[in-house]
Amino acid sequence: MKPATVKETPLSSITRKITLLTAAFFVAATAVKADVSRGFTHLLDAVVRIDVREESFDAGARRFTSGIGSGVIVSADGLILTNAHVASPRSVELSVTLASLERVNATLVGWDHWTDLALLRIDLAEVKRRGLTFTHAKFADSDDLFPGQTVYAVGTPHGLTRTVTRGIISNNRRYFADNRGVKGYETGLFNTWLQTDAAINPGNSGGPLVDEKGRVIGINSRGYLGADNLAFAIPANIAKRVVAGLEADGNITRSYIGIVPGALLDLEGFYSLKQNTGLLINSVDPGSPAAKAGLRGGDIVLSINGAPVDGRFPEQLPPILNIIASLPVGTAVKIEVKRGDQTLSPELVTEKLESRQGEEWAFEKWGLTVRKVSRAYARENQLDDDTGLLVIGVQPGFPAAVAGLNRGDIITKINREKITSLDVAKAQHAAFVAKPAPTLVEAETDRRVSLYILKP
Amino acid sequence: MIKSIRLFFGAATLVLSAVASKADELPALFAERVKCVVAVEFFTETELDRRPTIVGAVVADSAGTIALPATAINTFVQPSKLKDFRIYLPGRPVSEYSTGEYLGQDPLSGWHFVRVEEKLRASLVPVTMFSAKATASEPAIGEEFWGVGLRGKDEDFTPYFMSSRVSLVQSLPERTAIALAEVASPGLPVFDRAGTFAGVAIGGFGQTFVQYSRNDRGLPIMLLNVEESSVFQLAAEITPWLSRVPASVTGRPISWLGAYGLQPMDPEVASFLKLSDKSGCVVSEVLEGSPAEAAGLKNRDIILALDGRPLPRLKPDRIVVNYFERELGKRKPGDVVVLTVLRGSETVEVKATLAEQPELMREADRTYFEKLGFTAREFVYGDGVVRRVKVAGHKGVVASFVKNNSPVGTAGLRPDDWILEVDGTEIKTYAEAVEKLAVIEADAARTEFVLLTSRGGETAVLRVKLK
Repeated sequence: MKPATVKETPLSSITRKITLLTAAFFVAATAVKADVSRGFTHLLDAVVRIDVREESFDAGARRFTSGIGSGVIVSADGLILTNAHVASPRSVELSVTLASLERVNATLVGWDHWTDLALLRIDLAEVKRRGLTFTHAKFADSDDLFPGQTVYAVGTPHGLTRTVTRGIISNNRRYFADNRGVKGYETGLFNTWLQTDAAINPGNSGGPLVDEKGRVIGINSRGYLGADNLAFAIPANIAKRVVAGLEADGNITRSYIGIVPGALLDLEGFYSLKQNTGLLINSVDPGSPAAKAGLRGGDIVLSINGAPVDGRFPEQLPPILNIIASLPVGTAVKIEVKRGDQTLSPELVTEKLESRQGEEWAFEKWGLTVRKVSRAYARENQLDDDTGLLVIGVQPGFPAAVAGLNRGDIITKINREKITSLDVAKAQHAAFVAKPAPTLVEAETDRRVSLYILKP
Repeated sequence: MIKSIRLFFGAATLVLSAVASKADELPALFAERVKCVVAVEFFTETELDRRPTIVGAVVADSAGTIALPATAINTFVQPSKLKDFRIYLPGRPVSEYSTGEYLGQDPLSGWHFVRVEEKLRASLVPVTMFSAKATASEPAIGEEFWGVGLRGKDEDFTPYFMSSRVSLVQSLPERTAIALAEVASPGLPVFDRAGTFAGVAIGGFGQTFVQYSRNDRGLPIMLLNVEESSVFQLAAEITPWLSRVPASVTGRPISWLGAYGLQPMDPEVASFLKLSDKSGCVVSEVLEGSPAEAAGLKNRDIILALDGRPLPRLKPDRIVVNYFERELGKRKPGDVVVLTVLRGSETVEVKATLAEQPELMREADRTYFEKLGFTAREFVYGDGVVRRVKVAGHKGVVASFVKNNSPVGTAGLRPDDWILEVDGTEIKTYAEAVEKLAVIEADAARTEFVLLTSRGGETAVLRVKLK
């Protein structure tokens, strides 16, 4: 019994995750001495350390932060799979340390925060010029994993390059979704996770979880901070699909209809449903295809395009959502819905899935950093539309801070021009830079509208 | 609720030596004026607890009316939840208290009124007995004032003497004197050297300090003295408030314009808009179905004048909003106001007829379902405003209280959740909700029921297990 810790674990740490360690020293690794197969040795030569320098817009100015993560080379032409929270479009410098301890540059091929995966490509010209070599890892079928199976995690925890830890699969179908999980972006809605007790620490992120033959079964992603050995990895079968998509397009396009599901659990009786039938709709996003089709909270989805769905338990929800997400954007979907005694079969047309997190930008002369208000953000905060820029930082002593703008304000107009896009604001800022003059800003905080003057 | 205005003082020195010359008269003046001061205790009953409040108050008239400061009672509290008003005479044994009846809150001053039972009335003297005979002039800088403080209940509310000099007089928007040090307990009167009623002390003014400690190196903190105040509103302005006893406990009539989220226009903005010497309020939103909407006021209009009188420029900037709201408060439903507003670049006149304020949250009906573990409250106009939904044709009820670990609490219901459906049936009226919930509560055989709730614009189906 550990009374003191028992109390802490259940809820408070649920949303915490392992993020990158901000600074750590490079420690030369010693060779891993273990009784391992040839496949395992091969795998070790495919695991890399990733050093990232990236932009951050939190402080009212464009700043740079650095971090360390892990990755695994998955193709002969140097594609590296890692986490979306390690390498992202914000990364300005990516360098990769190979098994030979040599460093080479890499570029971002694509990223997908929904599955927390990103794909890099090693600078092959540099590799060739310097005569470096690497191997690439093979995937195993993650559907074949069983709880209790021995697995190994390889990566760079706390900057300790080439660390191997061992554990078992603790659960092969863990559900959790986090609306701000990857640098403020959503994650986990469309996949379940592998849970392992192999020690995963900050810096392990993006490294492979492998079986005894050294085949990649998952990409280590996160763990509960403050908990003992509760870590999560994206299953290889999902990673394989994402790698293919990212290599082809740089991103994964998903479809959206705007339903928020809930687990049906023991509500079948209430809804007079047959066992193992139906997906409960908890909420419908206003203005979404589902809302336009008249769906609402409390409706039960019986089938999607004729295929019955079973959303009794939380673990069953991501695959169902993934059915919808996998449809091409603009596809008509036929959904059979039960509402009380009625059965409805509305047809709706999917839209492109968008993140709640908008693009970020720094207006240096104003000492102001902003994030574009997205449709999802506007909906969550019950704004009229997606007009505006959310202030995410002001620099003390600069015009925005002097005028009284604060984090959390939403800038709706600049010099009476409606801010429908980031470009409108960029043009206003450019005009200010070219010819500094007092600039009128209209901003909203908690539905209260105030006017501010940015003075040169 | 508490207004916090930071004031920066130099060394606050008590100038007791100056008092000495006439000090011989003060004990008599003090003893006489303590008769217009009482301590009031009452209890706020909620679903689970009974919380006592103790405040200082002044005697408003000879009919036993007592005026309590605005901050004494949270505006959301239903008057029916306020119980057991007890009035204590300063310095008398607390066992000798008299009972009182709550009369309501005046919408203009925010003051609450209580009427004390007959037997005590003879011992009380209205503060207006000490009012200036002619119109009093404003306190001069450095002029000395004194007031009454009350010790705690365990010390029989013993009255004590405080005194200080005026440092500054400001419009907030009432004319308000700020003294060098504390002059009275909040809600209690202040007098000049001759014993003339000079004002009532108000709480809520803090002072900023920088705290150094083992862990904090210069952490700015604000300290608020809740027992004593150095700020008082001048008698000339607030004496008329003493007779504003509400006709009913609701405080109605309450006038309503429906311009939501007024924000001050700062001087930089004014000069940018070529209104350099003007003051104004930005209208964030014009509320649905309000007089402002009917009159054609628009979102983002900047109100510059009321009935032809320009809004004054007051410091700090946000005081102009209080000023405007106070001015509206002086008018009655049915009164016509003319607003001069800046819309874009043109100046427009808007003529609005004030209406009666829609039903307030504190007036909303509510029912506590003890077994289910929550209170269902009628959905009122303000609920629609905060949820950004059309108020016309609204439905459902609001959970105004949720008991921890109760059946609904365990199911995930939280205070302020909006209940749209019970057992799959849409709730159209409050009466309908209460009826349905009462049936569930009374049904001992019931094992579960289902709610559809809304929070932050997102709905959720909650399954409530009763067994």
